Amino acid sequence: MSELPNIPGDFLSLLANQRLTPLKLESLESAPVETQATTVFALQFDGGVLMAGDRRATAGNNIVTETVDKVLEVDAISLLGIAGVPATAFEMARVLQSSFEYYRRSQLQQLSLSAKVRSLARLLRENMPMTMQGVGVVTPIFAGLEGARGARSSQPQIYFYDPLGAQFHAVSYAASGSGSNTIRSILSYQQRFGNPRPDTMEMKRAVQFALRLLNIAAEFDSATGGVNPETNHHATIKILDENGVKSVTPEQQAECYNL
Amino acid sequence: MIEEPYRWLEAVANRREYVQDQIKSGTPVFAVSLSAGIALIGVGSGDSKVFELFDRHALAGLGHPADLEKIRQALIDAAHTEAFTRAPEDVSLRRLVGFGVSPQLKNNFEQIFNAPYLVELVLAELGANAGEDSLVRLHYDGSYQIYNSGVVAVVPASESEAEAQRWLNEQVSGSTDVRSVVDLSLQAWWCLSQGHAFDDAIPSQEERQAGWRSLTEQRTVEIGWLARDSQRHACYAGLTLSDLGL
Repeated sequence: MSELPNIPGDFLSLLANQRLTPLKLESLESAPVETQATTVFALQFDGGVLMAGDRRATAGNNIVTETVDKVLEVDAISLLGIAGVPATAFEMARVLQSSFEYYRRSQLQQLSLSAKVRSLARLLRENMPMTMQGVGVVTPIFAGLEGARGARSSQPQIYFYDPLGAQFHAVSYAASGSGSNTIRSILSYQQRFGNPRPDTMEMKRAVQFALRLLNIAAEFDSATGGVNPETNHHATIKILDENGVKSVTPEQQAECYNL
Repeated sequence: MIEEPYRWLEAVANRREYVQDQIKSGTPVFAVSLSAGIALIGVGSGDSKVFELFDRHALAGLGHPADLEKIRQALIDAAHTEAFTRAPEDVSLRRLVGFGVSPQLKNNFEQIFNAPYLVELVLAELGANAGEDSLVRLHYDGSYQIYNSGVVAVVPASESEAEAQRWLNEQVSGSTDVRSVVDLSLQAWWCLSQGHAFDDAIPSQEERQAGWRSLTEQRTVEIGWLARDSQRHACYAGLTLSDLGL
């Protein structure tokens, strides 16, 4: 951190000036069983990007909680879906939230989408020692709208990462976490052969589709929590369209679930 | 020059005169606490008078743009550092001003070999309800007054400021409508720009409204709105006249 140049509008530079270091975690030989967050995914639908996640966190065989929010609003036009170790992932989300808002307020303009995508890659790279030790692994997905002045695209875009920080642009969908293989398979099939394809679904149909995807992932992966409005088990679902981020409330989810 | 107390006092007095002379052509800004939020109003060139500081905090000011920018950046840095190391709820205007920018301004003003800050400011903090809002009138020498409701005007001349603030408080009293409050503030802005006193001889409402419309044609009316019912952490939004139907 102390080697960072002092870049105007850069929150990590501000922290370095104040001698504050985020994400400085130390691992122990006798590290406890780490808590893991599980399944998140994002897909393009007719009205923008939908990002969803189950709400279960596990540590080994234990279910730690069923109320984690893994889809986070980083700013008014960016979403982050976290999979991996929540301690690190939530700290990354907090750093990103502070960074993007700090830049927007101090520089009086939005950070470009490319810079936001790279900011997350940079945090993942800084977390590499923890990743290589097998603790603190985070594999997030990111969705954002280009907010920089003079931007060419007003369509929200989806990105996914590997644990070392490589970033990839997803054309139609991305998924991460232990239930993601199931979800990716279904999304791949549905996007190629489905009718309707996810990218042509209207919002309510896309929400229903997302809830069903989570339930199917939960069938095959014990670390993914299912969805059932009758027992008050909901997902976290957020929509990113050209106007910014909106949350899909539990009531709206229940309505879509029973379409 | 500063070996003798009298010389030092004289130097400070000269400095006060110099600052007041430098900012006398500055254009007024206003902050108004309403039941639905806080409005900050100024007329400039866009992003020049009214600024977002943090989730529930905003600033409006007049003076030298470079000095305004330095103070704005210092406040944004302090607020974000505080929020990151503690929590966003711990960012308080009283602390930002009382322990942050006010002592720095005072120090700077009294260090007579340094260039003084040429600024007059109002800072706003949105509370949970209207009675818990904070409006801080901060001066170039670091002195400040805290208000919890009503209107705060920032005008280069202190007599005009008191008059404008009194008139606006009377006019705005009981109003809950952002549109009418912005309109009234711009009427006061026009009166101040044209040197009209806020007494019985004040021009009619129609004249005042036509006046501010005409005078702002080549300028940007900057309106910051801290919305109390915002669903997001960041409660600030920049509004335009057309957003308000003006």
